[in-house]
Amino acid sequence: MGSDDWLAFKREEFKRWMEDERRRTGLSRAVAAYTSAKANALSRLPELEEIRREVRKIKERSIQQMDELVKITMDSVREVKGEAYLARDAEEAREIVSDLTGHGKLVVKSKSLTGDEVGINEALEERGNKVYETDLGEFIIQLRKEKPTHIINPSVHVPREEVAKTFSELLGRPVSQEIPALVGIARDYLREKFCNADVGITGANVVSAKTGTIFIVENEGNARFVSNAPPKHICLTGIEKIVPTLSDAFMLLQVLPPYATGVFMSAYVSMITGPSKTADIEKTIVYGAHGPKELHLVLLDNGRRRMAEDDVFREALYCIRCGGCMYECPVYRVIGGSFGNNYFGGIGLIWSAFTTGDEKVAAAVDACTKCGRCKEVCPLEIDTPRMVERLKQRLVKRGFVQPKHYEIMESILHNGNPFGEDERAGRSRG
Amino acid sequence: MPDSILYWKGCMSRLRTKSISDSTMELFRRMGVEFATLGGNEGCCGSVLLRTGQLEAAKKTAESTVDRISSAGFKEVVTACPGCFRTMASEYPAIAGQVPFRVRHISQFLIERSPTIKGRFRSMDVKACYHDPCHLGRHMGVYEEPRDLIRMVPGVELVEMKDNRSKALCCSSGGGVRSAYPELSREVARTVAGGQVPAGVKLLVTACPFCNYNFKDACSGQIRVMDLPELLLAAWRG
Ligand code: SF4
Repeated sequence: MGSDDWLAFKREEFKRWMEDERRRTGLSRAVAAYTSAKANALSRLPELEEIRREVRKIKERSIQQMDELVKITMDSVREVKGEAYLARDAEEAREIVSDLTGHGKLVVKSKSLTGDEVGINEALEERGNKVYETDLGEFIIQLRKEKPTHIINPSVHVPREEVAKTFSELLGRPVSQEIPALVGIARDYLREKFCNADVGITGANVVSAKTGTIFIVENEGNARFVSNAPPKHICLTGIEKIVPTLSDAFMLLQVLPPYATGVFMSAYVSMITGPSKTADIEKTIVYGAHGPKELHLVLLDNGRRRMAEDDVFREALYCIRCGGCMYECPVYRVIGGSFGNNYFGGIGLIWSAFTTGDEKVAAAVDACTKCGRCKEVCPLEIDTPRMVERLKQRLVKRGFVQPKHYEIMESILHNGNPFGEDERAGRSRG
Repeated sequence: MPDSILYWKGCMSRLRTKSISDSTMELFRRMGVEFATLGGNEGCCGSVLLRTGQLEAAKKTAESTVDRISSAGFKEVVTACPGCFRTMASEYPAIAGQVPFRVRHISQFLIERSPTIKGRFRSMDVKACYHDPCHLGRHMGVYEEPRDLIRMVPGVELVEMKDNRSKALCCSSGGGVRSAYPELSREVARTVAGGQVPAGVKLLVTACPFCNYNFKDACSGQIRVMDLPELLLAAWRG
């Protein structure tokens, strides 16, 4: 059976989460706000039922031709004078982004799970760059040196009182605990960073292959700054984000905000097709007018093609990362950010296993009850429990078996029950 | 023997929540249902092995279970365990080949006999809530039968949990979670019961020995927990 290190650390992490009243408070406030906002949005958007079904088909088609779409996208981006790269794994992605950034630079970032997946911040900091997360939630946890706990709201576990503490440490003076005041502090502090940054790094929510258009969906407006103010914009995103056309992308865009935050549409959707340009003087094209002079699209594989090749796990690539299934998961509601590794909840177990490795997530897999509620609330009806069961089979083959589960298995084979009881002794009749 | 139904207890009711299997058998007797059990030879359906990724052992267990039941000649299996029900009825065909008997959940079996049981209950006078077990509800689509049975007991005011039916929240005792992380399981059940049960509800009705065990353990002293056959027997007149 080998060592149980893979288990011990998770058990500890679960326990810390369960016992941390503050985190639990933050999380349950967020769950309550999310569920009521979403219920309201969905009841007012009955047309979404049909749209989400259409999006499922679009994703199925897109993943089917993922490799082809990668090629088309790269060609399209180059055609509009952007640069495009395909990174096979996390290391390659880190190298590409680091080389593009250089040394000693000021970097602003908007939230990117893909960035976290490859460990982009650490790689850039190693080269002496200063990296600022600009999404408020990410900014908070970056200051607190914590890890994100939700894919849409990374600091969902940090209640306002704790945010105030963190900000007052940053500024060296006491600050108000009022939420609007806290938001104001982040706004003032980051404004200057946006304008002075050398490089802006974003992710993408969708990419349309035919036009080479990057879509970034957000509410705060920070991603607009990040992708617009610095002279160089690097977008790092997974190859599963590509859909064939603009129309396909717009279909997906209608589903994401209601399921992600319970709004009809997010405040900002940035569509970026190539770097900033002007031809206003003598019809001569010059790049880098008010926006960035350079646009680099880094497409990441890192396990995604392996997922696409598998009939069962392929479905995980349909995920549009609305994060809804996490808030809706009874286990996530209790152990939050410890339920997964970078990616959370049931679907996150699959993503974590393929992108960051089986070992890191093996113990968390056994916290999933396979209850199927996530499938029920997913706009794409992704069958996560089926994938988790399949993943568990793979883990068992690789030796990641809970000692207790092994005992149960042996007892079932020998005693005909999981409890280690010898029933033949006291043979009972109906 | 083969003319009667086989009442399949399931490991949990057979060895841990015995009151559920005892109540089920007593209820059958009072209803005049002819039934048999496999007693100490019943064995395990293998559900937990499937949930914990131990596919080879699950297959072996499933095959031998099919063999035990069919070689005894039973054509009809009734169980009060949703885990066994789902596994046998919907997963055996894929892992154990042909299944020469029909498997139903006790709520489906009893609802078919409503004419014989309607009017046989005394009044209970209690506000109750029903918790949909995942294996029975979401996985097998059985939502209304248990509710209809509970409503047959006069005086029981049945109200719904905040999230119910296909949206019901898992108590987290299944899927191998309780054996791997018992504290987590308990904590989830506690939060589910705490956040989902409407005010004034004094009785939580489960239809699954695992949910029953977990809720009882997690909410002791806070709410009364009874499994469906236990409730029906308690209300049975005479
Ligand atoms: S699995 Fe479905 S519900 Fe969960 S994040 Fe992905 S799209 Fe949203």
